[in-house]
Amino acid sequence: MEMTQKQRILAAARGEPVDKLPFGARIDVWYNYHSAHDTLPEKYRGWGQVDILRDLGAGAQLRLFSVVKEEYRDMEVVERHEPPYIITEYHTPLGTVAKKEILDKSEGSWVKYEMEKIFKSERDYPIIKYILEHTVPVDNFEAYHKARAEVGEDGLVMSAAGGLWCPVQRVMREFMGYELFFYELADRPARVEELIETMQELERKKFQVAIKCDLELFNICANWSDDIHTPVFRKYFVPWLREASDFLHAHGRLAMAHTDGEMRRLNPMFRETGIDIAEAITPAPQTLVTMKEFRRELGDEVTIWGGIPSILFEPMYSDEDFDNYIKNMFREMAPGYRFIVGMGDNLPFDGDINRVRRVVELIDQYGKLPIEV
Amino acid sequence: MFDLSLLSQAIDEGDREKTLKLTTEALEAGVNPQEIIAQGLQAGMAIVGEKFSSGEYFLPDMLMAARAMKAALEVLKPALEKTGMPTIGRVVIGTVEGDMHDIGKNVVATFLSGNGFEVFDLGLNVPVQRFIQEVKEKKPDILGMSALLTTTMPVMGKVIEALKEAGLRSQVKVIVGGAPVTQEYANYIGADGYAHDGGKAVPVCRELVGK
Repeated sequence: MEMTQKQRILAAARGEPVDKLPFGARIDVWYNYHSAHDTLPEKYRGWGQVDILRDLGAGAQLRLFSVVKEEYRDMEVVERHEPPYIITEYHTPLGTVAKKEILDKSEGSWVKYEMEKIFKSERDYPIIKYILEHTVPVDNFEAYHKARAEVGEDGLVMSAAGGLWCPVQRVMREFMGYELFFYELADRPARVEELIETMQELERKKFQVAIKCDLELFNICANWSDDIHTPVFRKYFVPWLREASDFLHAHGRLAMAHTDGEMRRLNPMFRETGIDIAEAITPAPQTLVTMKEFRRELGDEVTIWGGIPSILFEPMYSDEDFDNYIKNMFREMAPGYRFIVGMGDNLPFDGDINRVRRVVELIDQYGKLPIEV
Repeated sequence: MFDLSLLSQAIDEGDREKTLKLTTEALEAGVNPQEIIAQGLQAGMAIVGEKFSSGEYFLPDMLMAARAMKAALEVLKPALEKTGMPTIGRVVIGTVEGDMHDIGKNVVATFLSGNGFEVFDLGLNVPVQRFIQEVKEKKPDILGMSALLTTTMPVMGKVIEALKEAGLRSQVKVIVGGAPVTQEYANYIGADGYAHDGGKAVPVCRELVGK
């Protein structure tokens, strides 16, 4: 009996034998954009994205932010809507901090962007620490079970215990912003480290809640890119990623990282983290690293998920360019074990949905394992 | 005689306090502010840029150096009132409409200003017509655009088209960048320059202005 999409993806993720290359596709940017603008192709009007992927013969990646939610204790959290902004204020006994976000649905990924970060100056350290210490993780399993039922055997729910970021990254990207993080780390390293440690404590609690659901693989760190200073990565990221991976492995689960950026300098450190799957791998021409180099750098113990840069779906590349790229990718990844075909990281809004079906056809034609060059 | 190489070294180390101290001392020793900038600060930034290009340094190293340089320029400002701040080119820069990401754009803006360009940063989510308006008003040598999303990448092409329609295309060089943007894409939309990362933006812009 033929393997299901889910079985094939999970087998490749675990390094087990598969009959042909698995394909876990991601189309939410394309889908959300065209749903919002009422421009989905006629055939797919009113369809869900998993149904569209089923129709195309591809395995689905259904994204759920986290299997855990945060609740706040001993503080007042007030959310105000001042279009286009959403302002959230955290009133604690130590003082108040606030963030200003914008939810932009025009682009397709539908995430909130912080226009003003919660951390603004040195005075905010104790307040943010208080917030983290009084944040309680609770399960989000109802949403998870709903997503799991939707995708069934036709793909995987892609989720996390803590959300997008690992602790230091949350401090860097969400709380402070990139530049201020590095300035603070240079000027007040002890205070930044204290905040990271407090964040890690909260994440440990989240993992204890999250592990009670049956999610097979957990995203433990998103959006890797060389702009994460490599020495900072080694000092602050690697130990945490190792701890999280070990925890998941002890519970029979897999650890995944969303590695869709320029990975040239981070690749050599990937194996130090114990992470099983490098997902959304985005090679040249969108970055400087080829698939062959990714395989060589990450080694045979890491499953590579990705390989098709999103720009390849753009009209500037012809159908012939696209086919040639995919066939060459198969050759570069031969014999093809521990490889799940996917996007780096999404189908763009003006990408050609028919190319998703084309990937399925090319896998059927050339993607039987072992791939022979 | 004041040793301006010490100032270059402080910039290279990204040491803001040391840079400030040495800049003040150089001024007090009677060194010409233009000389302090060229032989001390900009020379230091050039070293940092080279180390970034060779892979020895990382983006945050460049940020720290640029922060030190910016602080030093504040100290020099009063002394430069008569002559004005020396610049090698004028740049208008922004993240295109619909895009809320600005790390890359900010880094490029910081490096450019740290390397002697006069930079007008329009921020993020910049409408097409705002770019056109700013090009008309500021008359920059270079227009820099950034997009992190494949969704917003095509907006860069729309700005170039709008520049043509406004009769401004020949007056300004256009440089583009951002995670999904490639040299091929830059060629496709008719940009004059492309920089893969913040470090590369400086030499590309220098070449575009012929300096």
